[in-house]
Amino acid sequence: MIELHGVSKTVPSGDAMLTILHPLDLRIESGRVAAITGPSGSGKSTLLGLLAGLDAPSTGRIVIDGADITSMSEDALARFRGTRIGFVFQFFHLLPSLTAWENVRVPLEIAGASDAGRRADALLTEVGLSLRRHHYPSQLSGGEQQRVAIARALANDPAILLADEPTGNLDSATGRQVIDLLIDVNRRRKTTVVLVTHDPELAQRADATIALRDGRIVSAVPAVS
Amino acid sequence: MTFVLLMALREVRASWRRLLFFFVCVAIGVGAIVMLRSIIQTVRGSLTRESRSLIAADLAVATNRPWTPELRAELEQRFAGAPILARQETVELASMVRPASGKGSQVARMVELRGVQPGFPFYGTVILQDGRPFTHDLLANHGALVRPELLAELGLSTGDQLVVGGVPFTIRGVIAVEPGRRVGAFSFGSRVLVDYDDLIHTGLLSFGSRASYRILLKMRESGVAALDRELRRDFASRFVSVTSFRSTEDQIGDDLQRAENYLSLVGFVILVLGGIGVWSVTRVFVRQKVRSVAILKCLGATTRQVLAAYVLQVVLLGLAGSGLGVALARIGMAAIPARVVTALGGASYSLTASAVWQGVAVGLLVSLLFSLVPLLEVRRVKPLLLLRGGATAGLPAGAAHPPWWTAAGLRSRLAAADWTQVGAAVVVSAALIAVAGWQAASLRVGAIVCAGFGGVALVLTVASTAIVRGVRPVARAPWFPLRHAILSLGRPGNQTRVILLAVGIGSFFVIGVRSLQANLLQQFSLELGSSGADMFLIDILPTQVERMRAVLTARKAAGADVPRLIPVLRARVTGVRGRTTNLASFEDVRRQGGLAREYTITYRDHLESNEKVVQGTFWAGQPPLPETAAPAEVSIEKGIHERFKIDVGDIVRFDVLGRTLEARVSSVREVQWEDARSGGFMFVFRPGPFGHAPQTWIGILKAPEDPTERGRLQRDLVAEFPNVSAIDVREILGQLQRAVDNITLAISIVGGIALLSGVLILVGAVAMTKFQRVYEAAILRTLGASTRTLGAMLALEYGGLGLLAGLVGAGAAIALTWAVSRHVLDIPWRPAPGLAAAGALITTALVGIVGVTSSYDVLRKKPLGTLRAE
Repeated sequence: MIELHGVSKTVPSGDAMLTILHPLDLRIESGRVAAITGPSGSGKSTLLGLLAGLDAPSTGRIVIDGADITSMSEDALARFRGTRIGFVFQFFHLLPSLTAWENVRVPLEIAGASDAGRRADALLTEVGLSLRRHHYPSQLSGGEQQRVAIARALANDPAILLADEPTGNLDSATGRQVIDLLIDVNRRRKTTVVLVTHDPELAQRADATIALRDGRIVSAVPAVS
Repeated sequence: MTFVLLMALREVRASWRRLLFFFVCVAIGVGAIVMLRSIIQTVRGSLTRESRSLIAADLAVATNRPWTPELRAELEQRFAGAPILARQETVELASMVRPASGKGSQVARMVELRGVQPGFPFYGTVILQDGRPFTHDLLANHGALVRPELLAELGLSTGDQLVVGGVPFTIRGVIAVEPGRRVGAFSFGSRVLVDYDDLIHTGLLSFGSRASYRILLKMRESGVAALDRELRRDFASRFVSVTSFRSTEDQIGDDLQRAENYLSLVGFVILVLGGIGVWSVTRVFVRQKVRSVAILKCLGATTRQVLAAYVLQVVLLGLAGSGLGVALARIGMAAIPARVVTALGGASYSLTASAVWQGVAVGLLVSLLFSLVPLLEVRRVKPLLLLRGGATAGLPAGAAHPPWWTAAGLRSRLAAADWTQVGAAVVVSAALIAVAGWQAASLRVGAIVCAGFGGVALVLTVASTAIVRGVRPVARAPWFPLRHAILSLGRPGNQTRVILLAVGIGSFFVIGVRSLQANLLQQFSLELGSSGADMFLIDILPTQVERMRAVLTARKAAGADVPRLIPVLRARVTGVRGRTTNLASFEDVRRQGGLAREYTITYRDHLESNEKVVQGTFWAGQPPLPETAAPAEVSIEKGIHERFKIDVGDIVRFDVLGRTLEARVSSVREVQWEDARSGGFMFVFRPGPFGHAPQTWIGILKAPEDPTERGRLQRDLVAEFPNVSAIDVREILGQLQRAVDNITLAISIVGGIALLSGVLILVGAVAMTKFQRVYEAAILRTLGASTRTLGAMLALEYGGLGLLAGLVGAGAAIALTWAVSRHVLDIPWRPAPGLAAAGALITTALVGIVGVTSSYDVLRKKPLGTLRAE
């Protein structure tokens, strides 16, 4: 379960301070698909970054499955992410110098898994890319790259999958395939999926929707905060 | 660990082409170190193996005065107690030889004569050109063996006669290799080998002649060290020198060890230039890898793991570069001409294991040290930027600070400083000093070299910053390509300073060395001006002085000064009784170093035009002293006064050819050594005490310019005064010029390699930043810029960069020439503006051409593809 208690984010902007997220409380149950929606600049990606421990909140605490990640060091956070959180980006962010298979192996290697190769094979099969395993990202289409990214995010069998506009850089047909894949992962693996999206279709298929505007939660359906 | 290793290997696989320049930079420096060390180690190996043949004996006892019966008796006594198996004597002196009448060219040549006894040499062999074995019979009854160059100079061949000291000798063979004779060492002339007794009977060994008498001993090895020690201890004050094959070995070892260390330092300097390339490549590489680092951190990798992966990658590249360097050294060694190999005393060269491991170790260290500071940047990469910047994410920008000269600016900079990076920079600097110290085998030298490098780098950086700022107003020029070329010099992440530094140092080396060479050679030719003396006659006997004066005056060239004849004696200082310096015995003098050497002294009643008295009074105009005056009176040169603290009024004790003489210092003279045509003497005595002492005279004259006339004069002088030797300064200056040319060539090669490193760094910098240029070019193209405009921009940018580097290099080279001319060589400084301008222009062209050629992709790529990819 993901719990946010009084979490806010403020950054310096020139001589003044700019509040990106006003203090908010939020709870997302395990095994659910939650969509964070809102216009540009509403604080969606900042919230997702805080959930992943990529940034530290200015105030408040974030507790994931009982662990307070706000008190963790940078390296402890990295290890936490490596084992508990998978991340999917709008721009895929695959390592361009590695093949699809090697990209999927990386988190397994970081975690010191002994059967990294075999698991990478299985994951690529799961996302339907076993035949493209030795291709470099530049040789894959956008949809294929995003499927590799999802396979990579699932490598260490994380409890939580965070996705930042996973369909934002794809055409609608390919976007639909990616949505199906994410929902499928949630159903089969019971992985908690938190998505930031502008895509109404994706938001509709989520179990919960959190709408943000100007750094504040304006609606939560069903009520999760 | 698996992750770190796998990531490092994958990164090498993915980016080795981009990092090609990384290891080429390392390879050149490593290649230089390995090659230079290997050559010297091979030479040292072969020379120390041949140390016995270098002195042709186990132990050699030498003096430059004829053996006195007392000295001989004492030596015999010592020899009797040592395990000596055989002995023989040799005598060596420089003298003039000429062809016998009717044969060959009508000239005379100075040679180094060596008279040897049967059985010579104990070790090593004399190799004759025609392959016949050397036996003493070839020398018996006035036979001579000569070097091929003498035959060519005199127009003689085997079987012809050579006149030595008025006595004809028959040339019986041509020497190809003589043991103990090192090619490249300075000599008065080529070797002529004759029989010992025949040489003694020529009359050349008259009193005062500059001969070296040697006793060569073949003995059991067990007794060598003891006899060596004993003779050195007991006979040093009697002007006897002792050399054993062991001390020769040590001497050669020490000399070559020093040479090896200094040459390795040259290699290290080249490697440090490569290091600058490594630093620049790593800096750009890290900037390009920011996104990958962020992804890895996002996937759970710790900063330490990421840093370890990149450090390991650097180690792999450093090893690859070092390996390539070893291969380059191997190729370089194979390319050395056989002539040079034999000249340096080697049979063949091969890489030595110690040179290889040292080169590889230094290559690896330099790679690591120079990449460490830029690699630490990965610590600053935050995974969050993946959510913010998308594809164009970069390193977080530094905060804006108030101006650095204000207290607030300094405080804010100190607060924002990355102390880990600062600490790493300090450690890296210390490590570089340690590596340089290791290579030079002296921490002091290492520190000086690093400080020098730092100083030059600082000056070049400051100069290039100033120049880049200075040209900034040109960015307002109305011409589009020029405006953008200037803007490019200051674009974010630009390589301007690195390129200016690397290429600037290279051109500084080359222009500086060439300017110095021009200055030196110009100085020599000035010294050989139309009125200057260019021939010295030595060993003129007192009885020959008047006749010699008459001959020289009669044959004086028109407009030349009257030939001068000066009496000379040889003396050693054996004691000083002075206010500051008190040296009771010769042993004390020896401890003063240079003071114990043998000096050539003279006496006269006047100062020469190149002298002035700086302390005390000279005796000009006063009558000579009585012959038995005690003490005598001496004027010393300023250098002696300063180095050994000998003052006016002090008493100096001399040994003048066995006679002890005390003299009071009455004046200190300053001699303009660069105008030494009037002769320069450290000690000048007041006339009187040496009136009837055994002495020889030297003649200083301006010989005819025409080579045939010069040759004829030399030949006539040798015919009439067989014991007199003529030293042709023009010939020696010719030798000197060749030596300077060789040294210049050697340093120019080093400079050339430095410049090559600079160009490589340039190519590397272009390759690393090309992606940015291709993108910019695509945008400019969509806005309507033609290929021609883009080409002009590139040419102006790189041409401008080359011009700036050339200007910085030429400016620094002019400063170097001034400093070295004034303070090291003590010669007037003559700027060589043509040379500096040519250097700057060549650098401009080089950088321009290389820059534009390596940016070919920028002009060729279609804009749509580039923009889509971005």
